[in-house]
Amino acid sequence: MRLLGKLGLAVAACLLGANVAAADTVVKWLHIEVNPAQVKVWEEVARSYEASHPGVKVEMQFLENEAYKAKLPTILQSKDRPNIIYSWAGGVLKTQIEAGVLEDITDSVKSGGYGDTIAPAALAAFSQNGHVFGLPISLSQVGFLYNKDLMAKGNVDPSKIKTWDDLLGAVKTLKAAGVTPIVVGGADKWPLHFYWTHLAVRIGGKPAFDAALKGENGGFAGETFQKSGELFKQLVDLQPFQNGFLGFKNPQAVGYFGDGKAAMILAISSFYHTQRALAADKVGLSDDKLGWFDFPVVPGGKGEPSDTLGGITGWLVTKDSPKEAVDFLKYFISKDVQARLAAGNFVIPVVKGGEAGLNTAFMKQIAANLAKSNYHQNFYDQSLGPSVGRVVNDVSAEIAGGSMSPQDAAKAIEAAYKQGN
Amino acid sequence: MNSAETSRAPFDPAVLFKAAFLGIVAIFVLVPLLATLLGGFKSLGELRVNPFGLPSHWEWQNYADILFSGRYWQLLRNSLIISTLTVTLTLIVASMAAFTFAHVRFFGSSMLLSYLTLGLLFPAATAVLPLFIKVRDLGLLDTYFGVALPQVAFSLAMSVLLLRRFFKDIPYELLEAALVDGCSYIKFFRYVTLPLSRPILATVGTITFVNSWNAYLLPLVMLNTDALYPWPLGIMVYQGEYSSEWHLILAFITLTILPTIILFLLAQKHIVAGLTAGAVKG
Amino acid sequence: MARRIAIAAPVNVAGEAVPRALRGPGWDGRFTVLILFLPPALLLFTLFVVLPIGEAAWYSGFNWNGFGRPTHWIGFDNYRFVLETRAFWLALRNNGLIIAVSLAVQLPLALTLALMLAEKFRGAVALRMLFFMPYILAEIATGLIFSFIYDGDYGLVASIWRFFGAEPPYLLASTDTAMLAVLIVIVWKYFGFHMMLFIAALQSLDKSLVEAARIDGATRSQILRHVVIPLLYPTIRLSVFFAIVGSLQLFDLVMPLTRGGPADSSNTMVSFLYNNGISRMRVGYGSAIGVILFAICVTFAFTYKRWFMRDE
Repeated sequence: MRLLGKLGLAVAACLLGANVAAADTVVKWLHIEVNPAQVKVWEEVARSYEASHPGVKVEMQFLENEAYKAKLPTILQSKDRPNIIYSWAGGVLKTQIEAGVLEDITDSVKSGGYGDTIAPAALAAFSQNGHVFGLPISLSQVGFLYNKDLMAKGNVDPSKIKTWDDLLGAVKTLKAAGVTPIVVGGADKWPLHFYWTHLAVRIGGKPAFDAALKGENGGFAGETFQKSGELFKQLVDLQPFQNGFLGFKNPQAVGYFGDGKAAMILAISSFYHTQRALAADKVGLSDDKLGWFDFPVVPGGKGEPSDTLGGITGWLVTKDSPKEAVDFLKYFISKDVQARLAAGNFVIPVVKGGEAGLNTAFMKQIAANLAKSNYHQNFYDQSLGPSVGRVVNDVSAEIAGGSMSPQDAAKAIEAAYKQGN
Repeated sequence: MNSAETSRAPFDPAVLFKAAFLGIVAIFVLVPLLATLLGGFKSLGELRVNPFGLPSHWEWQNYADILFSGRYWQLLRNSLIISTLTVTLTLIVASMAAFTFAHVRFFGSSMLLSYLTLGLLFPAATAVLPLFIKVRDLGLLDTYFGVALPQVAFSLAMSVLLLRRFFKDIPYELLEAALVDGCSYIKFFRYVTLPLSRPILATVGTITFVNSWNAYLLPLVMLNTDALYPWPLGIMVYQGEYSSEWHLILAFITLTILPTIILFLLAQKHIVAGLTAGAVKG
Repeated sequence: MARRIAIAAPVNVAGEAVPRALRGPGWDGRFTVLILFLPPALLLFTLFVVLPIGEAAWYSGFNWNGFGRPTHWIGFDNYRFVLETRAFWLALRNNGLIIAVSLAVQLPLALTLALMLAEKFRGAVALRMLFFMPYILAEIATGLIFSFIYDGDYGLVASIWRFFGAEPPYLLASTDTAMLAVLIVIVWKYFGFHMMLFIAALQSLDKSLVEAARIDGATRSQILRHVVIPLLYPTIRLSVFFAIVGSLQLFDLVMPLTRGGPADSSNTMVSFLYNNGISRMRVGYGSAIGVILFAICVTFAFTYKRWFMRDE
C-alpha cells in the first residue's frame, strides 16, 4: 500500500513537475479530547507516523465536545472537511452512513488480518451490513465515581450502595452531614440523561429497549420509561446536586469533583482520568482517594446487575479522504498504541493484547465489568440518532429542573421517535 | 425626571438628584467592564475572593500569554478579513445600486427598490437553514466568502436606502450638465458622486463593519475550521476550553473587545451617526 | 434592543419625485448603467435573502436531515411538531417578556437619560459616549462578561451574597431566574442606543415651541409633558419598533449566557431555532420555525407601520 502510494506520487511528480512531489498529503484529524496528557500521546504517535511515512502530514484540530456535536452535520458537508472524526457509533453513525458522507474502509481494515485484532463487538459497532466505516478506540462504562474522604466524612459506606434506595439513603445522609452528595454538568444535559437511561437499563433491560424501538408496549412512553423518570425524580426531589447544577457544563462539573467539592459523580469511566486535568490544581484526586461503584439496581427490575451503560467510541474516515487517512488510523488503532494509551489510563482497549497495558486496579475493574456484561447499552443520545437522542437529553434536564413530569418526559421522547427525524 | 420648578439656586435638589441618578447609571455600565479588565490581571484564587477591586498583585502574564499566542492574532486577522470583504463589497454593490435608484429613471425603479427594502423586515436567522444549504451547494461552506456574501446581501437594504437618500441631494443640474458635456453616467458616478459622498460612505461602512465584526450566527453556521474562525467564534471556543479559568477568559475578552473600543473612540462621530442613522430622518 | 439597524417597513418610493426624464445621452447611457449597476445588488439579495425564505417554506414540508436532497414529504407536520413543542411557547413568551421590559424599563430609562444629557454641561458628552458604549460591544463578549458577573463562584453576585453571609445563587442555572438575568443584560446593552435616538431627536427639536410655552408661564414639568414628549412621539414609536425587531432576532447574547437553558427557560425564538433546528440539522423542522418567525416579523412590521407610523 505504501509502495503504491509512493509510486503514485512519483508518477504525479513526473507528470506535473517536481513541485508536486514536495507537497505533503495532509491528513486532517478532528478530535474533542480535553485532556492534554492524552493529546500529547496522540501527537507523539502522529509525529512518529510522519517520521516513518515521508510525504504525509497529520494535522490535529480541536473542537469542544458540545460544539462538535452541534457542528458535526455541517462539518461533514463542507468540502474542506476533516478526514478523521470522532464518533460514538449508534444512530448518529447510522445517519452519517446513510447520508453517504463516510468512506467505506472495509477492504483496508480486512486486509492482512488487521480487522481480526479488534474486539468483534466493538468493530461491529462501527460496521453496517458487513461494511466497516470506522475503527473503535475505547470502551467505557457509566457508574459512580466517589471521593473516599467525603464519603467517610458523611459516614456513608459506598460498598453498601447496591440498590436505588441505598443511593437515595446515602444522598440523605451526606446532605445531613453537610456534604454535597453529587455533582453533575446539567447545562450539557447529557450527564443528566445517564440517570434516566441507566435507570431504564436497570428496570427494563435489553428487552424493554428493543421493544421500544419496535414501538411495542407503548414505545418510549411505556411503563419502563415512565418509571425510570419517576425514580429519577425521587432523586431530584432530594436536591442531591451541587448549587447551580443546571448551569454547569460537564468539564466544570468534573473539575468540581476533582477539586474534592462533591462526594459522587455519575461518570463515564474515563472521568477517572479527566478529573485530574480539569481540577483547578491540575492534580485532582489521587487513586487512593477515588472509588467506583456500579449503577445501583432497581429491585424487581428486569435488567441484569451486570448490564452496562457506556460508550463505544472510535474514529470515522470521511468520504473522499486520502488513503493515508485510513493507513494512519490503522497505525493509531494498533496493539502498541492501545497498550500505551491503556497504560496512561486513557482507554479501555479494543485491540487484542492492548489490555496488557492496563496498570491500575481501577481500569482493570472497568475492563472486567465490560468483559462480563452481556448487554452493553450505548449512550441513548447517540444510539437513538441525532434528533431523538437530543430529546432524551432535553427531557432529562427538564425532569431535573422540575419543569416536566416523568410521564410527559416519556411521551415527549416517544413523540420525537415517531417523528423519526 | 420629576424635577421641581425651575430655580437657578446653587443647591438645587433636582441637580443633586440628577447627579446621583447619572452616577448610578454610570456605575451600572462601568462595573462589568472594569471588572473584566481588572479580572484579567488577577490570579484565579484572587478573583474568587476579590472579583471587583484592584488586583493586589498585577498578573501581566495572563495578557502577555494571549498576546504572544498565535491564536489571538489569527482570530483578529480572520475577523478583519471577513469584515473588510463585507464592507468593501457592500459599499461597491450598494452604491452602484443606490446611484441607479437615485439618478436613473426607468420603469420598475420604485418596485425594485421596494423589493430590496424587504430585507429590512426580517432577521437573517429566519432562513438560516436554507441559507446554509445554499452556501453549501455553492461550495462556499467553510470559506470567508460563505460568511461575507450573505452578510453583504443582508446589509444591502439598509445601505442602499441610506446612500440613495444622500445621492439624491447631489444637485441634479450637476449630472445634467455633465451628461451634456459628454460625461458618462459611470464616469459621473466615479468622479463626482463617490467623492462627494465620503461622509455617507464612511457611515455606511462603519455600520456594516461593526455588524460584521460582531457577527456570530452566520460564521457559526458557515465555518467549521478553527483556522478560519472570527473572534466571536474563537472566544466561545476559548471559553469552552478554559471553562472555569475566569482570569484567562476575562483577559481574552478584554483583548478581543479592545479593537472595538479603540475604533469607537476614534470614530465615534461616524458610529453614532451610522447606528442611529436609520432612525432620524433628515 | 436593536441589533441590525432597520428602517420601518418598505419605504414607499412611489410618491417621491423622480428626476425629470433625461435628455443628452438618453436611453443608451441609462441602459449601460442599468445592466452594470443593478444586477450585483439584485442578484446577491435574491440569492441570499429572498430565495432562502422561499426555500424555507418548501423545506418545511419535508422530514430532512440536511444530507443529500429532501425526499420525505410530510406536509404541514413540521408546523404541528413546532406548535406541540413546549420550548417554542416558552421562547415566544420570552420574546414577549423582552418586549415588555424594553417598554416598561428600558424606554423610560433611555428617555430620562436623554432629557438629562441633551442639555449642555460638562461631562454630558462623555456620559453619552459611556452609556452608548455597551451597544457597540459584541453580544458574544457582553454575554461572556455577564456570565462572569453572574457566576455563583467568582462573580459580583456571588461576592454580594457572600458579603451578607448567604449562599450565593447561580442566577443563570435556575429556571426561575435565568430569563430575569438575561433581561438585565439586555437593558444594560441597549438602553444607550435608545438614549442616543432620543438625544438626536431632542437636538433637532424646534426650540421655539419650548420657548413659547415657557413665556406662557408653563412649568418645566408641564413643558415636558405637554410639549417635549408629544414632539418626541415619532421617535418613541421608532424606539418601540427597534425594541420589538431586536427582540425577535436576539440570539448572540443568549448563547454565552445560558444557551437558552436551563430547560429552555431562556430561549428566544432564534436560539430555539438554533438549538432545535440547526444544531440537530432538522432542516424541515427548523425551516418551519423560520417561516413562523418570518410571518411574525412581517405581520408585525406591516401592522405597526399601518397603525402607528402612518403619519411618517
